[in-house]
Amino acid sequence: MRRARIMMALAGAGVTVVAGTFFLFPGEPGSQAARSVSRPPAPGDPLTGDEIAAAGKVASATWRTHMTNGQAELLYVERDDDKAAGERRRADVYIYDYRTDRLVVRTVDLAKGEVVAEQEERGVQPPPSRGEEIRAAELLLADPEYGPRIRDAHAKAGGRPLVSASDLGLRALSFTPGPRDTGAAACETHRCVRLFVRLPDGTWLDTSRIVVDLSAKKIFTLEW
Amino acid sequence: MFLRLTLSSAMLAAGLTTATAPAPAVVPAVVPAGGAPGSAHAAQAAPATCNPPYRIDKTLPNGARWRMCWEMRTIEGLTLTNVTYTPEGGEALRVLRSTALAQIHVPYDSGEPRFHDIGTIGDDAIALKAADCPGGERRDQYVCVTTRPRGHGYLKSDGEGVTSSVQGTDLVVFAAFQLGWYTYLVEWAFGDDGAITPRVGATGSLSGFTTTPQHGWPIGVGATKFEESHSHNIFWRLDFDIDGADGDVVEQYDFTGSGTAKRRLTRTVFTEETKAVNSRMRWWRVVDSGVRNADRHPASWEINNLASAEYRGPADEAFTRADLYVTNYRACERLASTNPVAGCGKSVDRYVADAQRLTDPVLWVHVGFHHVARDEDADPMPTHWQGFRVTPRDVTAENPH
Repeated sequence: MRRARIMMALAGAGVTVVAGTFFLFPGEPGSQAARSVSRPPAPGDPLTGDEIAAAGKVASATWRTHMTNGQAELLYVERDDDKAAGERRRADVYIYDYRTDRLVVRTVDLAKGEVVAEQEERGVQPPPSRGEEIRAAELLLADPEYGPRIRDAHAKAGGRPLVSASDLGLRALSFTPGPRDTGAAACETHRCVRLFVRLPDGTWLDTSRIVVDLSAKKIFTLEW
Repeated sequence: MFLRLTLSSAMLAAGLTTATAPAPAVVPAVVPAGGAPGSAHAAQAAPATCNPPYRIDKTLPNGARWRMCWEMRTIEGLTLTNVTYTPEGGEALRVLRSTALAQIHVPYDSGEPRFHDIGTIGDDAIALKAADCPGGERRDQYVCVTTRPRGHGYLKSDGEGVTSSVQGTDLVVFAAFQLGWYTYLVEWAFGDDGAITPRVGATGSLSGFTTTPQHGWPIGVGATKFEESHSHNIFWRLDFDIDGADGDVVEQYDFTGSGTAKRRLTRTVFTEETKAVNSRMRWWRVVDSGVRNADRHPASWEINNLASAEYRGPADEAFTRADLYVTNYRACERLASTNPVAGCGKSVDRYVADAQRLTDPVLWVHVGFHHVARDEDADPMPTHWQGFRVTPRDVTAENPH
């Protein structure tokens, strides 16, 4: 429901909502979006759904083309809790640029409706968004070696035939190779994630050696 | 009373360690007026910075009151802000501006895999049922606010067969997160004695990773499947702002004299960003000398962090090599490792590397638990807990009960 409301808010604001994950906001249960309330939010309240949508729109205004063609993604929007901002309502918008492998964090002053700060850096790996999680699973399912194995395990665990990656129970963590992780050196700079895949019978596939490179759209197998 | 005088800052600065000086000799010059008898004086009232359902305001049976706001942040998950304590008959005192988990690092004993479980854990919060929040109320489904007995506040006999005792109560705020096969219970308890107990329980399921006998423990029938042992190295970030951000100082206390009859108190004041490791009898406190209790002692909260497995990882995980870090406040320093912010350091060991002067200290507490699986851990795995205590020291001049 929450996501539907945000998507409608975006559409209403004239933003092109492309089917897929480009504007997949953190609307899953438990995300920080505050319930819709009639009164204005207090300084310490979580961001409202409307604030998240507004911040995303302002911060991604110059990124829309890249987001539409999958070269960048708005990961999530968090309340900016910098003491220096006092009681101003601000939002940090996390954007990942897969072309240059940069994380860009744009801080939006919600009252002004403008970006007031921007930080960017290569090699910083924020936690994967829900959209990235699904795209990583799609890449895994499309892999000639792992795809059939996952479909087979899913069927054996009593699941209906897999229609899409979102039918899997997914959790992703960002992956940066350590000195012992051979076989995934590209992940020093690329956007890489490790997936946990939960099967219909409640068991988990051992996917700890599998790394999905979202920048290069490749699968690596760790050797240890 | 003598004990408190012994520990007063003037005495410590003078290097005295015996409790014979009369009270007037150690009374500090500046004592704010208007404090309620017996409690710390707080010049700054605690404003309501959040609306329901994010506002928590609970007065426990003994009159102690805790107020705070909660937020389910996408990355850190449950975050408590503007935590304010009001002892019975006293005035409100801001303790923490914010506190949240800063990492759950899970390295397995064979060396791989090694996970950093944070994570967009806010998206992994479990919608709680009424039975999951006994005696309490659920906020937005994901946060439980409840109270819980904490046993004897005190019990005393007068020697004539008459006893007096009270039972203590904690305000408990918790949320549960499903991170892969683990369920993490993330909890803060706020005591009617002014203590704060952050802790995390791990339950759910074992990973099912199998390994060789030297890295695991046999579970199931016989000795063919060795479940891999692993650590949960949990970091909490605590931004103490006792009566506001100004005036907070972090001190370390040690008691030297191992193998001798005497123990000598030594105090180290942290003036620069630093890291520290656990040691028997060692503790730390955040003290604000601008806030005095009725005995004119500066109010502080003490961190005692001994119950840790003290995991120390390889060189590329230097953030595991201390039990406490003290950094100067920077909004972008959010996680102890895999910090998700551009233009900032990546891990807490890097944050302290430039030894910046401390004007607004933030504490990072690392508590590890080494989990060697056992047959009893069969699904659903019993909860194993890890955490630490934050206890008031000289916030009130008397037992707050």
